[in-house]
Amino acid sequence: MIEVEALTRLYARGTLETQVLKGVTFRVRRGEFVAIMGRSGSGKSTLLNIVGLLDRADSGRYLLDGTDFSGADDDERSAARNRKLGFVFQQFHLLERASALRNVTLPLLYTEEDPGDSVQRAERALHAVGLAHRARHLPSELSGGEQQRVAIARALINDPAVILADEPTGNLDAQSAAEVLEIFRRLVGAGRTLVLVTHDRAVAERADRILLLDDGRIAGEEAVPSPVAGAHLGAAGFV
Amino acid sequence: MSRSQRIARDVLVSLSAQRSRVVLMMLGLAVGVAVLSAVIVIGQGTRERIIGLVEKHGLDMVMVRAGGEVQVFAPQSDRGLASLLEADARAIEAEVPYIDLVSAVQNLRGINVVYEDRSVITRAFGVEPSWLAIRHRDVAEGEFLSESDMAAMARVAVIGVKVARALFPDGGAVGRTVRVNNDPYTVKGVFIELGTDAAGIDDWDDRIVVPLTTSARRLFNRPYLEQIVFRVTDVRRVPATAERVRDLLAVRHGIGPGQPADFFVREPEDVEGAALEASSTLSALLLAISLVALVAGGLVIMNLMLASVSQRSREIGLRRAMGARASDISRQFLLESLFVALAGGAVGVAVGTGIAAALGAAGVASSRITWMPFAVALAACVAIGLVFGIHPARRAARVDPAAAVRGRAA
Repeated sequence: MIEVEALTRLYARGTLETQVLKGVTFRVRRGEFVAIMGRSGSGKSTLLNIVGLLDRADSGRYLLDGTDFSGADDDERSAARNRKLGFVFQQFHLLERASALRNVTLPLLYTEEDPGDSVQRAERALHAVGLAHRARHLPSELSGGEQQRVAIARALINDPAVILADEPTGNLDAQSAAEVLEIFRRLVGAGRTLVLVTHDRAVAERADRILLLDDGRIAGEEAVPSPVAGAHLGAAGFV
Repeated sequence: MSRSQRIARDVLVSLSAQRSRVVLMMLGLAVGVAVLSAVIVIGQGTRERIIGLVEKHGLDMVMVRAGGEVQVFAPQSDRGLASLLEADARAIEAEVPYIDLVSAVQNLRGINVVYEDRSVITRAFGVEPSWLAIRHRDVAEGEFLSESDMAAMARVAVIGVKVARALFPDGGAVGRTVRVNNDPYTVKGVFIELGTDAAGIDDWDDRIVVPLTTSARRLFNRPYLEQIVFRVTDVRRVPATAERVRDLLAVRHGIGPGQPADFFVREPEDVEGAALEASSTLSALLLAISLVALVAGGLVIMNLMLASVSQRSREIGLRRAMGARASDISRQFLLESLFVALAGGAVGVAVGTGIAAALGAAGVASSRITWMPFAVALAACVAIGLVFGIHPARRAARVDPAAAVRGRAA
């Protein structure tokens, strides 16, 4: 699903140049749940932005679902983000003045075709994360865990093949974090590919496989021996 | 819905959720549009009033009379009454700008007009067809003299109401043949009733008017004129135009500086001209103020939009992550500026026309509400929304999505 080969990325700020990625190579199979783990500054967010087509590598090759996006222009990359990718951020990134429902419909603004009944689709997505009753609430009226579930519903509404999550539990209490990870397991169980970036080993261990990123390189790889039970639970109901 | 329609609707929904911000952004523009539309409404009202005055008092007409100003009491033969010729009229027409109609005029008192057993002694005028418009006259029945009447030296006449009543007490003057100084003339039309002039001396209804060629060759049988009348296209140019005509005729008549002229150029009373001047100065001033306010209002929108772009960089990053193209983002911000400007325009035009109408109703100013302020406000707001929205929109489109979604701002 995802093929990354010898990616490099250099950040220049003034005269200071930082080689954030120094040749990263890995693959993620369809339906796999991979955690990229590393300390802060290891380059994991940059890597996720490149995989998410928000940033470009300076060199190397990146294939998403068999398509090479190295030379793609903004419109093609935007269309692919809209159609194939769903993002979940540490900060949730919900529009403060918009209801949960309207936040969830956001990706439908940017589809090529008429999205049909946006409200109905958003209600279904909210129902899937257990928040149907919160559809009309503003983000400020929701708990952190609820906000992140709204963000997950938003990531799901366009039925993307890949979900990218950047420290999705970083701002959550243990209970909410567990709920979010449970939802992720169910998504993978329903056939979605999930790439999660974290510095937290406990979170990473919910994945099928852990890639260790250190100083811009893949420093190691671990298979998680027995993914926590429950992967098969409640998979039904997801689009 | 198409993608652009979805984005436009999203912008409207967003704006309606932050009305106080919209009000703040559009305030300057609303003031500008309010002043602008009030200026237009009052300007049109004033214009209409002045056109009415011009019509009523002939403020756009200038008359050249034969005979110098200072020689009124000299014997007639010495007053240069035989000095003004049709060639002078053609020269004025050809050489002086801002004049659209010219008519040479002859007149003579003591003309005998007879129909069957009735007769009147009246004053006859020989004029060109343009005379009717220059003097703001009109015919009530029949029609006025034509160019072919001129060419044919036709024995036709348009008669005043009093003449018509005296000769045809039962009506039906048009088409009848009367005898004018013993020659047969066909009555072509009857003037509308005008009454006497302000001084009460000239009775405009006691007149007959014949083609200039007919009067020059037949009725009066002389080439020289009593008057040349002409219409100035812009009332404000009347004094300057009269001055040019004076200079032209002085040259044509060989009159040096300081010498008495053998003609007299009479301008309309300029009391109303001064009022027009004053009101046009005021409206020019107000127009300038409103333009400044419009530009200031546009700058306010631009600056608040620029501030909004930096405040909302995370939102921009998020939208980009959700699949928005750079062009979708710039469209979103441009539409935001446009909608805010249109909202400001709507408020402004309502307030402006309202104030102007109230001033009109209170008798402080003349006002007339037409489609014009609305069209001008719409055009101005679309232009301002786009012109001042393009820079923030471009900046929004250039926000780096990768950096924006990483933003850790609270």
